[in-house]
Amino acid sequence: MILDVDEQAAEFGRQALRAFEAAGGDALVQQAEAKPDTRAELVDSVLRELGAWDLNARDDTDELEAAATLCRSAGYWALPYPVAEILSRPGDLDVSGLSVVADVNPAAPVAGIEGPWATVTIAGIRSAVIGHGPAAPGFVAPLELSAVDDRGAADVALALVLPCWTLLGMLDRAMELTVAHVTMRKQFGVPLSSFQGVQFQLTDAEVERSGLDILAKHALWSVGAGRPDAANDALALRMSAIEAADVVFRVCHQLHGAVGFCDETTLSWLSRYSQPLRRLPLGLSATKAELTRRMS
Amino acid sequence: MTAGFREHVRAWCDEHVPRDWRRAQTGVPETEFVRFQKAWFAELNAAGFAVPHWPREWGGGMSVADQIVLYQELAAHDAPRLVLAFVGIHHAAATLLAAGTEEQRLQHLPAILDGEIWVQGFSEPEAGSDLASLRTSARRSGDAYIVNGQKLWASGGAHADWCLLLARTDPDAPKRQGISYFLLDMRSPGIEVRPIRNAMGDSHFCEIFLTDVVIPAANLVGAENTGWQVAQETLGAERGLTMLELSERLAHTGFRRLVAMCPTDDPVVSDRLAQLEIEITGLRGLCRRLVENAHDEGTGARNPADASIVKLFYSELLQRLTDFGVEAGGLDVHTDLAKPMSSGWESGSWLLDFIGSWEWTIPGGASEIQRTIIGERGLGLPREASTP
Repeated sequence: MILDVDEQAAEFGRQALRAFEAAGGDALVQQAEAKPDTRAELVDSVLRELGAWDLNARDDTDELEAAATLCRSAGYWALPYPVAEILSRPGDLDVSGLSVVADVNPAAPVAGIEGPWATVTIAGIRSAVIGHGPAAPGFVAPLELSAVDDRGAADVALALVLPCWTLLGMLDRAMELTVAHVTMRKQFGVPLSSFQGVQFQLTDAEVERSGLDILAKHALWSVGAGRPDAANDALALRMSAIEAADVVFRVCHQLHGAVGFCDETTLSWLSRYSQPLRRLPLGLSATKAELTRRMS
Repeated sequence: MTAGFREHVRAWCDEHVPRDWRRAQTGVPETEFVRFQKAWFAELNAAGFAVPHWPREWGGGMSVADQIVLYQELAAHDAPRLVLAFVGIHHAAATLLAAGTEEQRLQHLPAILDGEIWVQGFSEPEAGSDLASLRTSARRSGDAYIVNGQKLWASGGAHADWCLLLARTDPDAPKRQGISYFLLDMRSPGIEVRPIRNAMGDSHFCEIFLTDVVIPAANLVGAENTGWQVAQETLGAERGLTMLELSERLAHTGFRRLVAMCPTDDPVVSDRLAQLEIEITGLRGLCRRLVENAHDEGTGARNPADASIVKLFYSELLQRLTDFGVEAGGLDVHTDLAKPMSSGWESGSWLLDFIGSWEWTIPGGASEIQRTIIGERGLGLPREASTP
């Protein structure tokens, strides 16, 4: 079992973090929300320069790790682009990206994205996206599908794991922002961070975030090693990611106070754009039920 | 309880609660919201249901047992919530009754019954949980005070006629001893109200900027520099019947809608629903005890931390319930982003309800403050070392 990413992959993630910052950082998602049809052109050149689209996450473990760290960096800036889904595309279909969808009401954050797209259900049924409905918040759109085949079981694990790395990047950032906020914000004449109650909330959140960090690495190893349990590991990661995101965003919002709900703060944007990752394809109960069913 | 009172309220609700108000109040402009709120308040007032908690001489006088029945039945009939009148009938009235002059009561209590809208001007950018560090200044000049500063998170500020204002009148005194309490006419020159767009996309919260605003000295509530004590009366108004009303709404409007939407044959779902029902039952009991004990002072039944326990439990339960609503509702919930105006925090537009639920653990004493109160006043634990 390997529970850390290679140093080269980690360095690639750091480079991506800096490159996204140079390309606009927090402003990218704000610009994309104002003009959804520009989301591709806002990020395409920086991703291309990073070599993101040359990564072969499915067949090379080094590149798989690089893909994961790239997704994490994209999450850190709430990059308004489905990087994880693009990196999850299957090798045997000529598509730009792959989203895992629920059996009913398939939806994915692909509004405004061009090119052929595929979906796969947890059971492995693959479909081509032939149209989508109007965009809802978070660039989510209901999808119109045309069945392709039922040979997608092997596609599922990676397509579940990489978006969890994106969400992990969002939690990294939410924690950083909140530590900075409680260090700076003073009430009762002292920084909020000097209250033990505040410290304990942050430590609880950090325990969740670091637990997710290690599970994300475990699931990535499982996928890369082609283990038969990889899809179950991916579902377990997803369950843990949803739970961790609930705790981390709950604490970060609480400690930011009311201002955390206003778009003047980065937390508000992160929180909003974390929603599709936390809700799709399945929420906590449905993920738990699916995992229980498969394990038994 | 008065014999036949529940039947009386039920019959009234059947006749007066607008049948299709949820649909009719979805997506309407602010002007229609204000009209609807005022009309609904007038209906309740005509029936004697608007201010049952006020003293009899001012138009109230209902027994506590009857008030509990009233709020249970209004919730059970899915009545619209009094959003705009809320601060007036609770905070302003409690303050005036406890610390106002007879002239102030005569001017405002009947006016509130006629639809006068109030806003609370307490919080500031640097004074949230630490309210006593507020900086808005009021300088005495002849028969008036000149006020300068900024207030934040003033709910309903855009529609208010009057404001309950805390301002610093003695900058040299210890911070709780230099604050005074004023009634501010929102039509006064020098006031600018700016709506704040929040994560739900609405602008109920406002910033209020005060520049050389003149407040007549007659609008001071209580003595100069005793505003902190007066403010405790205002804040106390949030902690009794208002919480009972909210808990009944959560049980009826909120939980019933949740159950109706859920696939209850799914064991995971039914397990979560059962847990929520247990918690709601506990909350309703806590609220009822809080209200009944508030009228039994001196019996020893009152725990000084009860109100904090209720606020803490309600706010965190609301978050759990609305979170589950989003989860159980699936994708449809994400695309349903219109909520009926005049509904509460459990409207059934689950995504907006969930986002809105977050405001509950922050204002009116954040959960951290409530936990501190429970520890210090309830359990008798020592004060936190770093607080002055």
